[in-house]
Amino acid sequence: MSHLTQEEFVLSYYSEPELGADRSEHLAHCEACIAELAGLASVLDRVTPVEVPDPGDDYEARVWNRLHWRLRGEKKRDRFTWVKSALIAATVVIAFLAGVLWSPSRPVVESSRIATTTATSTPLVDSSTRRPVDSTRILLVVVGEHFDQSERVLVELTNLTPNGKTDITTERERAEELLAGNRLYRRTALDRGEEDVATLLDELEPVLLQIAHSPSHVSAEELRAMQKRVETKGLVFKLRVVRADVNRTAATSTNI
Amino acid sequence: METDNELVTRVRGGDDEAFRLLVERHTRPIYRAAYRITANAADADDIVQETFLRAYRAIERFDARASFTTWIHRIAINCSLDLIDSRKRRDGRLNHDEDLAAIASSTASPDRIVHGLEMQRAVASAMDRLSGNERTAFVLRHFEGMPLDEIGQVLGTQLNATKNTVFRAVKKLREQLQPFTGSLI
Repeated sequence: MSHLTQEEFVLSYYSEPELGADRSEHLAHCEACIAELAGLASVLDRVTPVEVPDPGDDYEARVWNRLHWRLRGEKKRDRFTWVKSALIAATVVIAFLAGVLWSPSRPVVESSRIATTTATSTPLVDSSTRRPVDSTRILLVVVGEHFDQSERVLVELTNLTPNGKTDITTERERAEELLAGNRLYRRTALDRGEEDVATLLDELEPVLLQIAHSPSHVSAEELRAMQKRVETKGLVFKLRVVRADVNRTAATSTNI
Repeated sequence: METDNELVTRVRGGDDEAFRLLVERHTRPIYRAAYRITANAADADDIVQETFLRAYRAIERFDARASFTTWIHRIAINCSLDLIDSRKRRDGRLNHDEDLAAIASSTASPDRIVHGLEMQRAVASAMDRLSGNERTAFVLRHFEGMPLDEIGQVLGTQLNATKNTVFRAVKKLREQLQPFTGSLI
């Protein structure tokens, strides 16, 4: 009988039942295999568990305290459904764009000027109130919410277990709704010179498109492909980073 | 004592106290697994938070026929892999070749190397060279003693793919740690 393969030595080391009785029998009597297994064991035995630092007796309580606040935030946010949020966000942007691009009380503002408004000392003025309008901040606030909603959809999708037919109706519908806003925000971000935001929206669009155009129930293979696409692109991480930047910029802009 | 699945039912009904009990029950195992994957206490702590937050958001999707422990571990592993990926993207892969070479050529006696801090450092360096999936599969099999089929459930992979991931991890570790043990590959 042939000697054990490297994979079988690993199975044997971990006492996996899959090794099979005949292979175990061979291992018990073959000196070469015994020596090889000893070699493997000499390495793996030395890979001892990393000593995990004790996080403290009250760790569970601390975790819950922090978590509790975040869950309360989640619940507050859930009072407005994601549909309402998306619609409100879209309405704000559309209304804002309409206000900026069509203003009867003053000459038409050139798009190049809109894009550089935040860098100039002359801010755009709301035609009705005559108060300065920070257009970029409005965009960033709206896009920040959009990123948050998108991240939730992607996280939920990546957490699904590929197993038979999986129902992704909710993710599909959310992606469909987010898609419309995504296109609008991307165009606006490009107009405003927010290249990082526009790039991420650009990367997000085909993924949202794929989810939105998927059937309600997907096979394990299809789900894995979608999850892989999200993970390969590192979208969840990017969304988090850019969202944090966007929120920070929006907040800074408020303070100025 | 209520089972995890009974608590999940209560959470779905809006009972936050039930979720607190789940957090209390699963925090330490998740922290331990996250620490072993990331080798960083602050990262492990972040992963614990993120894991429960994701679990709360997705609680409606939990299949009551499945094990809550496996499910929550799967979420924790995903969080850990996200974090490892993001850290590698941000910092680039650390070059441990110099570390290993320096340790291997150390003038200390082999016994001291094998049993000393250098060995731990070598193991940490070798572990860091594994991909996220390899590292996770190896940690779950080697340190947590999780059966291969359960690791597959956590990673979302078939049994054969899971086995291959563990095999690859062992092979890489063996190659990296070879200078410290003197064993033949």
